[in-house]
Amino acid sequence: MSTTPPPSTPTAAAASPAPSGPGSGSAPGTPRRRAPRTAKQLLRLTRMEFTLFVRYKTAWMFLALPVFFSFMALQLPADEVVPGFGMGEMAMLSSIGSISLILGMGHASNVFTARRESLALKRFRVSGVGQPVIFGGVIGVVAVFSLVIALLIGGFIAAMPDGMLPRDPLMLVVAILLGSVAFSLMGLLVTPLARNAESAQLAVMVPMMILIFASGGIIPLEALPEGARQLFSLIPSVPPGELVQAAYTGYDVFGGAAGAESKGYLGLWAAALPSIGIMLAWIAVLALAVRRFFRWDPRQP
Amino acid sequence: MTTTENTGQAQDTPRGGDGGAAVVVRDLHQRYGAFEAVRGVSFEIRPGELFALLGTNGAGKTTTIETLEGFRRPSSGTVRVFGQDPYGQPAGVRERTNAVLQGSGLLEDLSVQETMSVAHDLAADPRPVDEVLDLVGLVDKSGVAVRQLSGGQKRRLDLALALLTRPEVLYLDEPTTGMDAEGRIETWRIIQGLKREGTAVLLTTHYLEEAERLADRLAIMHRGEVRVEGVLQDVLAGWGDRVSFVVPDEVSTGDLPAVLGAEAVVEAHDQELWATYTVTEGDMAERAHHAVAALMAWAGDRGTVLRRLQVRGASLEDVFLRVADGAADLVG
Repeated sequence: MSTTPPPSTPTAAAASPAPSGPGSGSAPGTPRRRAPRTAKQLLRLTRMEFTLFVRYKTAWMFLALPVFFSFMALQLPADEVVPGFGMGEMAMLSSIGSISLILGMGHASNVFTARRESLALKRFRVSGVGQPVIFGGVIGVVAVFSLVIALLIGGFIAAMPDGMLPRDPLMLVVAILLGSVAFSLMGLLVTPLARNAESAQLAVMVPMMILIFASGGIIPLEALPEGARQLFSLIPSVPPGELVQAAYTGYDVFGGAAGAESKGYLGLWAAALPSIGIMLAWIAVLALAVRRFFRWDPRQP
Repeated sequence: MTTTENTGQAQDTPRGGDGGAAVVVRDLHQRYGAFEAVRGVSFEIRPGELFALLGTNGAGKTTTIETLEGFRRPSSGTVRVFGQDPYGQPAGVRERTNAVLQGSGLLEDLSVQETMSVAHDLAADPRPVDEVLDLVGLVDKSGVAVRQLSGGQKRRLDLALALLTRPEVLYLDEPTTGMDAEGRIETWRIIQGLKREGTAVLLTTHYLEEAERLADRLAIMHRGEVRVEGVLQDVLAGWGDRVSFVVPDEVSTGDLPAVLGAEAVVEAHDQELWATYTVTEGDMAERAHHAVAALMAWAGDRGTVLRRLQVRGASLEDVFLRVADGAADLVG
């Protein structure tokens, strides 16, 4: 350690305390500082999460999985479901909605369990970083990488012989963002059940697989009876897939792809509102559950 | 619990709400089911004051700190930091406090520089990163991954992160564990600088010398309760001065003299009988002298010699060990 502290170190500051420094005499209870804006903190923490994501080997596995599932969907029959789109292509589009499911549940549960056990989460909290910012950082990185993988798969679709671009790119982005928030919160909700990162990966696997299989990306929901299909549409992994399908095809697939009608820009958004509402409701419920059950401390009370 | 009037530097700090205290804990209880980890703890810390919370493992120190940090809601009693309930780290508290946790809490895949840079960008009014790294002696490690640091270097980085935000209240939970002697002494120097700057510090440590050097006031916890509390000198004064010598061969233990204000105990050590007089009454500055004078006079009258005569004041270790044994009377 240095033996001669520079002028502005705590030791030197004692000789000539700065007006804004601690102990300058203002009454306790008078806040004199303002933390950087939440949005600025959020961006900074997302940047850090990005750096760490790239350095985690496990995170790369979570990137590879959705790509694998997307191309697996192409093995389904090419029977046309909506004009220009076969069953396999519709399943592939639906699987784009599951990218954030795999990343959000897998990555968020993994790193937040590890960080809770290593006290890294407490370290952020005692440094004055708010809970929404800490959660927002991981949601941000899940959203970024979900968009990157979606772009990759979208590029593949565009490069196919009869390839095409999404009719409504904004809806595609909204689908991915809603999924990123909901599934990251789900991942966070798994962490109280796990004692370490390894057990978090195991704990998250069962609900993740159930949600993936129920999303329409593996088994087309069109194959299900109408009642079951309507029930499945309430599962949080279904609306993102349907929003992506609608965004690409321009068809109102929300009531089922069979007999879906082509819609204009506003018409498609109007048709999408119930699915967006379902996702927002899930996000609200999950956020409350995270607030209630998330554990910051490795010590069991 | 004994409450001792606060003396020294901390009395000179400006007073405001809560008598000028930055941290106020009143009759804090923390229960986990039937188990009560903290049982009626009270203390306060003023700006520029270091309060040391000592105790055996499981005494309730970390639970008390975690309550102050805002991670636990008290089962009963009140906790206030800058006049606010710290639970959940509300705005107005979180920007003004920081901590060195008992465990490190570092992200191992970031470099030292990256770790500091993130903390800097998230803070309300941070010190410059280079300045803090220089202060804790990690400038030459700034490009090194945290996972490559030694235990002591990680502890220095923990301290650097806490210093970075210019906290007005700082919780130090065993901050020098794992540090070498040089690092520990430098850390003490930094902490003393923070005190002079006006930071209110709560310290827990297993190094009693650390508490003796740094603490303005201290408390020793055992099984969830504060057993001893006060200014260091008063705590030690309550324990008393010790006068020891080997009982002369020609003197039976029953013939040892009574000394005013002292209590005698005879114990065998190294195949010799030792008499120890613990002097607790009288003027603190003179009582050992009077006891020794009385014993010397007695020895002169008997024509004997007090071999291996020792006079010493109580150490914090004496007090701590007695509390830890569960045999302590309240001191102070």
